[in-house]
Amino acid sequence: MSAETLQVLADVGKGKSTRGVLRVIILALIAGASIASRLFSVIRFESIIHEFDPWFNFRATKYLVANGFYNFWDWFDDRTWHPLGRVTGGTLYPGLMVTSGAIWHALRALTIPVDIRNVCVLLAPAFSGLTAVAAYLLTNEMTTYNSAGLLAALFMGIAPGYISRSVAGSYDNEAIAIFLLVFTFYLWIKALKQGSMLWGALCALFYGYMVASWGGYAFITCLLPLHAFVLILMGRYSTRLYVSYTTWYALGTLASMQIPFVGFLPVKTSEHMPALGIFGFLQLLAFLDYVRSAIPSRQFQTFLWLFAGGIFVMSLAALVVATSAGVIAPWSGRFYSLWDTGYAKIHIPIIASVSEHQPTAWPAFFFDLNLLIFVFPVGVYLCFQELADEHVFIIVYAVFGSYFAGVMVRLMLTLTPVVCVAGAIAISTILNNYLVAKTPTEEDQQAAEAAEKKGSKSGLKSATKPVVGIYGLWSKSLMVAGMAVYLLIFVMHCTWVTSNAYSSPSVVLASRMPDGSQHIIDDYREAYQWLRQNTKEDAKIMSWWDYGYQIGGMADRPTLVDNNTWNNTHIATVGKAMSSREEVSYPIMRQHEVDYVLVVFGGLLGYSGDDINKFLWMVRIAEGIWPDEVSERAFFTPRGEYRVDGEATETMKNSLMYKMSYYNFNNLFPPGQAVDRMRQARLPEVGPSLSTLEEAFTSENWIIRIYKVKDLDNVGRDHISATAFEKGLKKKKTTKKRGPRVLRVD
Amino acid sequence: MKTSAVFSAVLSLLSLASAASSDKGSSKSTLPSTFKPPQVFKNANLVHVISVEKNYVKENINVVVENIDKKAQNEYYLPFTADQISRLGGVEVKDRKDTSAGPFVAENVEFDPESDTQYLRIRLPKPLAPGAQQTLGISYYILKAYSPLPAAIKQEEAQFLTYTFSAYVPSVYTTSKQKTEVKFPSGNIPDYTKIPGSGDIKEFPQKQGTKLTYGPFDEKPAGAYEPIRVRFEFNRPVTHVGRLERDIEVSHWGGNVAFEERYTLYHRGANLSSLFNRVKWQQSQYYQQGNTHALKELKFPLRVGSIDPYYTDVIGNVSTSRFRSNKREASLEIKPRYPVFGGWKYPFTIGWNSDAKNFLRKTATGGFVLNVPFLEGPKQNEGVEYEQVEVRVILPEGAENVKYVTSIPTQSISSTEVEIHKTFLDTIGRTALVIKTRNLVDDFRDRELVISYDYPLSASLRKPFIVFSSTIAFFVAVWLIGNIELKFASVPVVSKK
Amino acid sequence: MRWLPAFLTASLAFASGSLAAKKTSEERFNSFHAKSIASSSAAPIKLSDASYREFTAQPRDYTAAVVLTAMDSRFNCQLCREFQPEWDLLARSWVKGDKSGSSRVLFGTLDFADGREIFMSLGLQTAPVLLLFPPTVGPHAVPNPEPLRYDFSNGPQIAEVVHSWIARHLPDRPHPPVKRPINWMRWISTTILALGSLTASYVAWPYIVPIIQSRNIWAALTLISILLFTSGHMYNHIRKVPYVASDGKGGISYFASGFQSQYGLETQIVAALYGLLSLAGISLAIKVPRISDSKTQGVAVLAWGGIFFVTYAFLLSVFRGKNPGYPFRLPPFV
Repeated sequence: MSAETLQVLADVGKGKSTRGVLRVIILALIAGASIASRLFSVIRFESIIHEFDPWFNFRATKYLVANGFYNFWDWFDDRTWHPLGRVTGGTLYPGLMVTSGAIWHALRALTIPVDIRNVCVLLAPAFSGLTAVAAYLLTNEMTTYNSAGLLAALFMGIAPGYISRSVAGSYDNEAIAIFLLVFTFYLWIKALKQGSMLWGALCALFYGYMVASWGGYAFITCLLPLHAFVLILMGRYSTRLYVSYTTWYALGTLASMQIPFVGFLPVKTSEHMPALGIFGFLQLLAFLDYVRSAIPSRQFQTFLWLFAGGIFVMSLAALVVATSAGVIAPWSGRFYSLWDTGYAKIHIPIIASVSEHQPTAWPAFFFDLNLLIFVFPVGVYLCFQELADEHVFIIVYAVFGSYFAGVMVRLMLTLTPVVCVAGAIAISTILNNYLVAKTPTEEDQQAAEAAEKKGSKSGLKSATKPVVGIYGLWSKSLMVAGMAVYLLIFVMHCTWVTSNAYSSPSVVLASRMPDGSQHIIDDYREAYQWLRQNTKEDAKIMSWWDYGYQIGGMADRPTLVDNNTWNNTHIATVGKAMSSREEVSYPIMRQHEVDYVLVVFGGLLGYSGDDINKFLWMVRIAEGIWPDEVSERAFFTPRGEYRVDGEATETMKNSLMYKMSYYNFNNLFPPGQAVDRMRQARLPEVGPSLSTLEEAFTSENWIIRIYKVKDLDNVGRDHISATAFEKGLKKKKTTKKRGPRVLRVD
Repeated sequence: MKTSAVFSAVLSLLSLASAASSDKGSSKSTLPSTFKPPQVFKNANLVHVISVEKNYVKENINVVVENIDKKAQNEYYLPFTADQISRLGGVEVKDRKDTSAGPFVAENVEFDPESDTQYLRIRLPKPLAPGAQQTLGISYYILKAYSPLPAAIKQEEAQFLTYTFSAYVPSVYTTSKQKTEVKFPSGNIPDYTKIPGSGDIKEFPQKQGTKLTYGPFDEKPAGAYEPIRVRFEFNRPVTHVGRLERDIEVSHWGGNVAFEERYTLYHRGANLSSLFNRVKWQQSQYYQQGNTHALKELKFPLRVGSIDPYYTDVIGNVSTSRFRSNKREASLEIKPRYPVFGGWKYPFTIGWNSDAKNFLRKTATGGFVLNVPFLEGPKQNEGVEYEQVEVRVILPEGAENVKYVTSIPTQSISSTEVEIHKTFLDTIGRTALVIKTRNLVDDFRDRELVISYDYPLSASLRKPFIVFSSTIAFFVAVWLIGNIELKFASVPVVSKK
Repeated sequence: MRWLPAFLTASLAFASGSLAAKKTSEERFNSFHAKSIASSSAAPIKLSDASYREFTAQPRDYTAAVVLTAMDSRFNCQLCREFQPEWDLLARSWVKGDKSGSSRVLFGTLDFADGREIFMSLGLQTAPVLLLFPPTVGPHAVPNPEPLRYDFSNGPQIAEVVHSWIARHLPDRPHPPVKRPINWMRWISTTILALGSLTASYVAWPYIVPIIQSRNIWAALTLISILLFTSGHMYNHIRKVPYVASDGKGGISYFASGFQSQYGLETQIVAALYGLLSLAGISLAIKVPRISDSKTQGVAVLAWGGIFFVTYAFLLSVFRGKNPGYPFRLPPFV
């Protein structure tokens, strides 16, 4: 009975078409799984946009949907970076917004009333499904086993390294960029293998889309030329390479130049020079190749090769000269800091301050890739076995990808695809060896030995002998069982990581009640909603740049600075206002027409991501511009501690940030028992007093505190004396009251 | 049993209410701008009850009218200032003697819009014979009636409101005998206008408990006016819903009725003199059991059987809501994200589903009858007033021959139309009945809206058929495209190597 | 006309330091300046208790920049040793660039060894400290004579940074730039090496070619670099993490606690684990199926499979150490 069913199943597996159907079904299931595993946050909380940058993309998308494409294209946003404003249309990568806008319109055309927010929230998971398919295609170009492709798709679908940036609600450029990355690579390999102009053009098309979507396109721009270059060095120049590369470069560059934000960079900046150089070099080679085919003469050929080499070296020198002369812009800071790893720390504190630009410690690798991280080298090694052009690509990608990932946490994203591909190749090879029914027979063995006598063609020492197969059934079953266990652990690991590390929308905080039920802390939105409803339409909000996008998106109010940190000075100005004394800050705020100041305070709840913890960065960035007025040193106690309690330095206590954070805080406690739960510090008896600001709103758990900037005093006094005067008045009144009573007693 | 009775009654009513939108226009008759109501009536006796217990004013005029004209008359006029008439709503007139006479038709007279005095015309069902008397019970509501005094107070202080009205009821007819009673939410009435009394009472008003009485007065000529201003404690939110959009979507396939209500809510009470202070707020919550003029919570008693409610606002779900549902009740209690103080605003959206068979009946003739509450707002002690309410009933695609009847006072209904609403793969779109009303209050919570329509089987089968066929068409198209040969030559490109 | 008295005072200064205290600031400046330009090694001027007082005495019409440092190995002041050469470089290039002393800046160094009292009087616990004494008289005089203190809180500083700091506090005066001496030795050696390697490669070309073209070597290089990067080597390189640290109890702790930190040795261990796992994987994937003898093959499968399993289990346990609350584990390391 069971044997029969097995037989039936086996037969089903036989036919080509049935296999095809099976493959499609499995792929569909994988895509489904990769989407499902990204929905933790939607199920736990709601369909909400996460964190910071996504809020800007969301806002931009709404603008696009509301005002149409052309208005979006030249959108000048006067509600950010007050009073400068921002040429938003020309300084963003429109791919993401346009994509979701198109999807939204398509659904509307089908009269499906879907909220643009939901489109944005679910875009990343949807595209991750596509990424899985793309990974399948790419891997199938590398190996003959279809199983490898399916494995790669599965890995790509659930690897935390990719999920980290593509859970539902993290509506960021990476959401679609990774799919485009993988798919562009697939098309490139396809084009290279067939030397087909059609595939090359498609590759260019998707490259253009990638450029429109993510700044990380530079990775492709550098990797493809590198691949071509390595192939040339290996003496593998071919018309296929020529056709595919030339098509890609010509069309792709044109496409990329259509994006306002990119414009003429592809011919101006160093990041793009390799591509250009290889393009020229290929023309040269093509010419020489033609000549060689025409004139068969040994010396002439060597001369030609030398000639080619000479040209190459010279052009390289020319490039260097041009760069130093300033004709070609040197590498942009962010990009350059990948090579000179110390660069950002000294020159660009803002970049250094972003957590995702830190180097990667090894646990992060294991956390994001688990078993793949050490199966990955196996796959790369297998690529050396038969070293076709596409395998060279994998190898090059592997080396550079892992270097970049090591330098910057964020670039783990670009490493993940190749890890998945290589890992899939390795594991499928193992499974294909051990998961076969037939055991080698005598003649196989003879054949093998015979072949061994003859010696073999493969370049790898370990692969000289021919494959015999696995004998013992037990060893097969052992290996298969082992693999099953590892893969199982991998899946559980991915799920665990996703649900624990990558699924919280940082806008809403979840905490557990004593009875274990979930309690949602929604202070951010409480405060933003208050701002949105109860302040005037164009009230300028000053806050640290982290919250700029959220204020723009949720509170819909103009901000001074936001997460698009294009103007360091402006940010430093805010930093200075926050870290100086009231007398210094007030004029700054007046000059910038600030109406409200927003600070994040975790002292009551023990919330770590608050402004007091970020304060030192504000000080540093301000110090970078006004070294004489702001000094980081002054915020540390003589013993070099950063304290907020009674021991805190005077500068600290008088800084606007400190005052705004702790204003009124100690009235919440019995006298002298105010405790900052975040920093475990007992606060001084008397809290700070504010004279130029007044508390306007404080959220339920005090996470967000909003202050109103007072107008100039009617009588023309400065605010300090004004407040002092009022205090004095009160005192007098009380004494007056006491007066007569005393008389009566006498 | 009750419902069936209702339906039978409804069916009879529907005949006259059919083609609702058309006959609304005709009922209003425009008069020349020089119009003055004829002096054909006299108010023999009148009692004017003004209730300021809620955050809107409810006035009740019980008057014995007498026809002093030669011939029978059936049009009784009530004057208001232009400002009042814009805030006037929910007018209901009935005969005190026999309640069976049903509500009389009462509507705003349309003439010279610039004039400051506007009139409300009451049509008596049968003309009043000369010399005969009839007792009318006229009740109406006035919204945005109060002004806080002082206009700005501290967070923890009590809130006082003022209301101004006339001691004598404004009338276009001479009133031989009348008195005016004012009911207050509490006995704390710091100041109110005093006027010299008449007869044995030396000074009006007399105060007993939470009630002030002006009068009885002797005969007053038409349009007599004596301003009275009362100031009283009202330490509750003055909740004002500027606009309520209420969507009711009927789905026959899903056997479901979906409700969604979008509120634009204001607090018209005293503003904060000093900005919001969280410490004081938390302390007040703790010490004075949250007896405050800020709006903290709204309770929505929904129909039993309502399920999966939601409560959101512009920036997403609001987590501070509770829903208790069982056999007896389904009450949704929501908290605004922040306590709403005077002058603050808080727009929000709630929605819920319910099984269709709680509201929908199939009639013998094959049509359908939908019976839903016209208004289901929050039920607050201090009351809620609605400036504009737009109820939109979305019937299934292809529903036709729509008739409706509602027990909402016709004076408040400003317009009605039937429009088309496209959603969820509709082809011809769904029939939607839109009723716009103004100046309602939460006293009308349980008034019904009954709609009858026909829904042929063909209409119900349209969508599945269209979806199916278009899907098939799509697959075919894909298959055809898949078969197109893209290669120029079938021989693979040979590489030079 | 003013060079003559200047010279005299200078010579006097050399003759007797005892008179120093009574000199005018003009004279003091000239003497110190003369001393500093006398020989390149004399800038910055090495100060003692007495000369420090003279150096910074008021009234002064010049700016005095002094580093109070502790070079003695007893204090093992890492910062001091790192900063001192930079400071010397700065002082030298400044003095060279401004022989006439028109910028009126003096550079001095006071080591704890010969400036104990000063350190006491200033109540300094930490070193190095860079004090900048602004002029109290003369054209550039500033209201408060209190010295400005340079902040070493963010690590050792290179000369250029300090230069810019000093320059900022000396407005409208020449600021001779820092000139780093060209390291001829390095240049020469590199060129020689380059040429040597070129010739060598030319000579040994036929032998080199197979190496360059050998897949095994390239494969090995690739794998090694990948393992390096994926085991967090770049992190060590950038963050300059310690190789190992001692746990409290005298022993050494191989694994840093905490998810975001690591030691040098730790990464090497991890790299080794990865390497072992990859090796096992390679053998299982490529070598084993090519073993023609069934018995040896069985043994190989068992061996490599076992190694893979155990190493993976160990890796999991290590990771659990880094990230408490990580739920997954394999025997034998449960």
